[in-house]
Amino acid sequence: MTDTPVTPPRSAPRSRLSMAWDSDVAHAFRRSPVAMISALVTILMVGAAICAPLIAPHDPFNPATLNLMNGFTPPGTPNMFTGESFFMGTDDQGRDVFSTILYGLRISLFVGFAAVGFAMVLGITLGLIAGYVGGLVETIIMRVADVQLTFPAILVAMLIFGVAKGITPPEYRNDVAIWVLIIAIGLSDWVQFARVVRGATMVEKSKEYVQAARLIGRSPGAIMLRHILPNVLSPVLVIATISLALAIIAEATLSFLGVGAPPTEPSLGTLIRIGQGFLFSGEWWILFFPACTLLILALAVNLLGDWLRDALNPRLR
Amino acid sequence: MMNRFWMATALAALMATPAVSETFRWASTTDPQTMDPHAVSSTPVLGFLNNVYEGLVRRGRDMSIEPALATAWEPLPEGAGWRFTLREGVTFHDGAAFTAEDVRFSYERAASEQSDVRSWFAPVTDLVVVDEYTIDILTRSPQPIFPDSIANWMIMDSGWAEANGAAGVARDAENFATLNANGTGAFRLVSRQPDLETILEPFEGWWGEVEHNITRAIFTPIQNDATAVAALLSGEIDMINPVPVQDADRIDAGDGVLVLRGIETRVIMLGFAHDHETLQNGAPNPFRDVQVRGAVAQAVNVDAILQTIMRGSAEPASQLVPPSARGFSTAQDTRPVLDPDAARAALAEAGYPDGFEFTLSCTNDRYINDEAVCQAIVGMLAQVGLRATLEAGPVSNYWPELRAGNFDMYLLGWSPGTFDAEHPLRFLVHTAGESLGTWNFGGYSNPRIDALLPMIQSEIDEDARQAMLDEAAAIVQDDMVYVPLYVEPLLWGVRNGVTLTQRPDNFFILRWVSVD
Repeated sequence: MTDTPVTPPRSAPRSRLSMAWDSDVAHAFRRSPVAMISALVTILMVGAAICAPLIAPHDPFNPATLNLMNGFTPPGTPNMFTGESFFMGTDDQGRDVFSTILYGLRISLFVGFAAVGFAMVLGITLGLIAGYVGGLVETIIMRVADVQLTFPAILVAMLIFGVAKGITPPEYRNDVAIWVLIIAIGLSDWVQFARVVRGATMVEKSKEYVQAARLIGRSPGAIMLRHILPNVLSPVLVIATISLALAIIAEATLSFLGVGAPPTEPSLGTLIRIGQGFLFSGEWWILFFPACTLLILALAVNLLGDWLRDALNPRLR
Repeated sequence: MMNRFWMATALAALMATPAVSETFRWASTTDPQTMDPHAVSSTPVLGFLNNVYEGLVRRGRDMSIEPALATAWEPLPEGAGWRFTLREGVTFHDGAAFTAEDVRFSYERAASEQSDVRSWFAPVTDLVVVDEYTIDILTRSPQPIFPDSIANWMIMDSGWAEANGAAGVARDAENFATLNANGTGAFRLVSRQPDLETILEPFEGWWGEVEHNITRAIFTPIQNDATAVAALLSGEIDMINPVPVQDADRIDAGDGVLVLRGIETRVIMLGFAHDHETLQNGAPNPFRDVQVRGAVAQAVNVDAILQTIMRGSAEPASQLVPPSARGFSTAQDTRPVLDPDAARAALAEAGYPDGFEFTLSCTNDRYINDEAVCQAIVGMLAQVGLRATLEAGPVSNYWPELRAGNFDMYLLGWSPGTFDAEHPLRFLVHTAGESLGTWNFGGYSNPRIDALLPMIQSEIDEDARQAMLDEAAAIVQDDMVYVPLYVEPLLWGVRNGVTLTQRPDNFFILRWVSVD
């Protein structure tokens, strides 16, 4: 028997996944329990929201399935009229609080993601243009941004929401409420993106690869999108994560104030508003569970954003 | 150490002892939309202004009619009208003297086209000034309960109104009288900030005997239930109206605050767009069909609403007036029976086997738990295939929207100002016109009702009158003109040490308040 020579480990071409696994960010992630827990919580919540129709025992948005006699059932105790039992109790309309939270989470997250997406697209576009074109265009865009920064975001959102509500015919109001909410929150949030992208673009603009791209005659649009944008994205990612938490809270605030999601399709904020009316009468669960959900969600996303900021910034590590 | 503690306590107690000033603060969910007594015929407005303005007659603690600006009244011969003898020596808040001219001016103002209270004067042909302190109100036919029907007709100073350009009524607009007031009442308006704060102070020159001991009264509208309760419990507010039904028991059980319970004269009901060709969404209007309206009545589980949302503190209603009102029809005291299957069958028979979509308009700051009740109704109607979109908003914009016809079905609460079953017929059921049917938003019209109303108004014989009221009540029920739901409860939260009177029409009268 001849010794079979030990085959040296083949240096196989590494998959993208394993490259990502070994990257700096992933390494930092694996070493941070806070990041792992908050990521897990966020994923769980997003998953629960997406799968709400599968998980939820009731459909709270279908008024035909509600039984008013189930109203105000405490968590885990059978209702005194119908004998039905609910894990987190029911609200004044006999809606199962647990199901309503799952569906409300859906609306809150959808509005949050969509609003941040909208703000991101708007902010990045304007930031790129301002940073790359410069001159008068930059002045106009950035002054508009400055002016908007002087208004509290929630005020801007309420203003947009109020105007939109005024011009929509009543029969469409409930249908467009969610979209108006998204635009209102998005419009109040784009400035941050625009400022960061503009700053980064100005730095990138003078680098050689941009000069080279210009020399070979690529169009400004292509340069901005293909060359500059990928290099300014990492700060954007951090802002987007933190903005997500803020957008979710902004949505909850607007709905809490009664100007957001309609009462028949409640988001977390609407649920908290409804529950707050029963705080004194001892039906604590109507407020408590939605409020906890919102708190945990906002906290998890925020911690994730904080950690991402540190991880992407070599000086902070 | 202990000594010092006691001294501090004694000092604190000394300082807490009320001085001469007795500020009384109260809160309600609805701000009176206007300070003009002829512009909006609603309880928040008329109830509030009863403290500032006065009529020829007024209602006492037991709702009985008693003299106010008139000291005596008697019918004119042959039922031609009524003669009122006016009180002498009364002055308005700005010092002007009260005379028959002010009554004449207030009649013309309140009976004008823009006025929301002109139906009170529908039977009136003229008001004649006999001398400075005597007037005759001439009517088309004998009006046995006329003095009862004008208890909320408030007298405004003619000179003041004309000098300030407020001689006319601004109903859905504004003029000087919207924000200012000059009456003869026990309290004068000191400051008015709509939706924020309204301050009243006693009128030194008031003619009546002062029973209250307040030196300043501050009204704040608070829409949020929890905020209102917190303000009451913390002593920041002396009285709230209403107490949220869900909190009533707990507040009552605690120290320091008392809940005054009663039944209001207000019936909460659903109204329909009777004369609209199409719904808000453009589809043909199914509510023109009495079968569809009947299906709505059979689908709404009023008992469930009362059991849960109203927590057992309200009574179901069968007519447009509560059983306590005069002229209530005991013969017609049956509600439609809850029967979702029959409702579905009726809808199928009417040509809507799959139901249809429509809008339910509702207030969210006017009646007790109004929005929650509407939400529950949406659910109950959905179970028979009537898919309603709930359009809930503040009352300030609600009446104008209804007047403009922007509704399919709506929630309405009606309290008969005269405490009589004739009142809702006049406002809600009579064909909508210049002075009658002014709150008949849906445009229901029935010649028999229109013929009955003047007969009811002028009938002196109680039995004959009741027979006609019974007939009208039967027509309203058979035609499902409205779906009466329940009689609204009265729930006032009052801090201990405050004495006041709860009147069944939910008017809060400041001159019966004393604070210690």
